[in-house]
Amino acid sequence: MSSAFQFYVTTLLIYAGVDILAAWGLNLQFGTAGLLSFAFIVFQAAGAYTAGVLALGPQTDNGGYQHYIGGYALPFPIPILAAMAVGAVIAVPIGLIALRRLRSDYQAVALLVVSIIASSIATNETELFNGAAGISLVPHPLADQFGGDLLTYQWFYVGFTAAVCLVAYLIVHRVTHSPLGRAFRAMRDNEQAASALAKDITGLRLLAFAIGGALGALSGAILVLFIGTWAPSAWLYPETFVLLAAIIVGGTNNSLGTVVGVLLVPIGFAEGSRFLPEIGHPGLIDAGQWIAIGLMLLIFLWFRPQGILPERKHRYANDGRLVTVLDELAGWLRRSLALIQRSSR
Amino acid sequence: MAASLVGSNPKILSLNSVASATGLRTATVLQAQDIWRDFGGVIAVAGATINVPRGRITGLIGPNGAGKSTLVNIISGAIKPRSGVITFEGVDITAEAAHRIAHRGLVRTFQLSSEFGRLTVLENLLVAAPHQVGESLIGAVLGKRYWQNQEAALVHQARELLIRFGMSAKEEEYAENLSGGQRRLVEIMRALMAKPKLLLLDEPLAGVNPSLGQEILGYLEALRDDGLTMLMIEHDLAAVERVCNPVIVMAQGKVLAQGTLNDLRNQQEVLDAYFIG
Ligand SMILES: Nc1ncnc2c1ncn2[C@@H]1O[C@H](COP(=O)(O)OP(=O)(O)OP(=O)(O)O)[C@@H](O)[C@H]1O
Ligand SMILES: [Mg+2]
Repeated sequence: MSSAFQFYVTTLLIYAGVDILAAWGLNLQFGTAGLLSFAFIVFQAAGAYTAGVLALGPQTDNGGYQHYIGGYALPFPIPILAAMAVGAVIAVPIGLIALRRLRSDYQAVALLVVSIIASSIATNETELFNGAAGISLVPHPLADQFGGDLLTYQWFYVGFTAAVCLVAYLIVHRVTHSPLGRAFRAMRDNEQAASALAKDITGLRLLAFAIGGALGALSGAILVLFIGTWAPSAWLYPETFVLLAAIIVGGTNNSLGTVVGVLLVPIGFAEGSRFLPEIGHPGLIDAGQWIAIGLMLLIFLWFRPQGILPERKHRYANDGRLVTVLDELAGWLRRSLALIQRSSR
Repeated sequence: MAASLVGSNPKILSLNSVASATGLRTATVLQAQDIWRDFGGVIAVAGATINVPRGRITGLIGPNGAGKSTLVNIISGAIKPRSGVITFEGVDITAEAAHRIAHRGLVRTFQLSSEFGRLTVLENLLVAAPHQVGESLIGAVLGKRYWQNQEAALVHQARELLIRFGMSAKEEEYAENLSGGQRRLVEIMRALMAKPKLLLLDEPLAGVNPSLGQEILGYLEALRDDGLTMLMIEHDLAAVERVCNPVIVMAQGKVLAQGTLNDLRNQQEVLDAYFIG
């Protein structure tokens, strides 16, 4: 592989990982808990900003041309962990404003407004967020270990992103396949009935919001530490819709479906066709891609609303244990083997 | 004179306060006192007072729009009254949120089926079980090993209910694919999974075929004999006659009368409001 091509592939893989993490977070809020989380991109932006300013040195570095909070030059992985904490924490005020007493259609509107307000504040507030210019020159974590070998570093970052995705997958899977995940889905299907069965709706909504927010922030942190820049224009509300399209295409409330959806929608359509590593423009999706994504979403909503991989049914074995994908696979193998044996006799 | 004697008797006073503090068994499980509620111009409940005695199935009947469902909504915390006081096991629950009230063991079913459509029938029952260790974030993240045993026991309980209600074959069906009557059954089974102390049933038999309806009534009687208290809204007077005692009659947001169904049949105002039109 030529090194230019390797740069291209590694960058694409990292972008895929970032989008997968974010889409899992949104899927937990939207697919599992039924919250129309139209401000989701705010979590990603907040996580990215947090990680960026914590990794950066003091404002006076680089000639002091940019303004931001923080500047502590904190070592890896603290900026990432802090970003997740911020994502979870800001979920609480946002959730309290938008979710507490509102019907779901109003929630959607309220959250859209939150998203727009957040980006206008970030664009116009030069002291905190350095305005529309955003921040740049965020140092790459552990880059000094690679002695300037950029390609090796790219591959290292791919591995790191993959590891984060794996851990995130395990946690998301545990949540969605637990009694907690069941309570989320019950709330999604019928809020009033869930509260009559002692489910604390406000608490569950905030919890889903916080977990999803932490995941969104994590994705933002991984992205900003990779590309080194953060600008509010990359995190406008339409970005949420790209993730939403990925979730619906892949299969709502199915973590693997979400992966498929991300590979098809933001990666396949929006970035795969255009992206080259030298152009570090996250989130700038041009009109043609918008039309393509919109059409794809419509086609799915019309002809396959459950997505490519539909939500899995939760089945219980005779001993009361939840049947896993592996169980189903084993059962299928056993049946096929039995068939083969019978026919060969 | 006698009243003041009782009132000043320290023994009786302390017994009473112990009774309410420990939730000791008093004759009345639930008391709703002078409840008012309007929706815009419509006064749905107009100063209704009811007492639900322990260990019985109390019937709540009345014409369409009498305010029965609204009263149940108020008792269960789904909506708030404009005024009035609700006491459950000696505790004032008027201002409590619905999920807190349910947590105390006051569980209700809905007049319009309220199944969780994209949960299977079995999951609809499981989700109702109280005190699930896997329902906290920590419990969920700790993983299956942490909550599996409790879950297996709940699955076992739920399956017994499914057998009793003849719904075992539908265990893995999404609730949204059930018939209307089957949804009523899920609604009742789900409420029972919640281990209620007081069960409010809003027209549990509506849409259920008559022979299954009789079976359900038999099952409710068995639950009552085990000590479960119920308040049941029902239009089918034969069913009310079979299992409900006492029976409360509501009309136009007010409680008209209370007694056995036979007593009520002989009261003129009840006849006017309900049995005739
Ligand atoms: N959410 C609401 N908004 C407006 N009006 C309402 C609402 N809920 C109930 N009402 C009105 O309050 C009155 C009582 O309604 P309720 O549902 O309590 O009657 P009900 O006794 O349960 O009748 P049914 O036997 O038909 O179920 C009706 O006139 C109804 O129109
Ligand atoms: Mg009613």
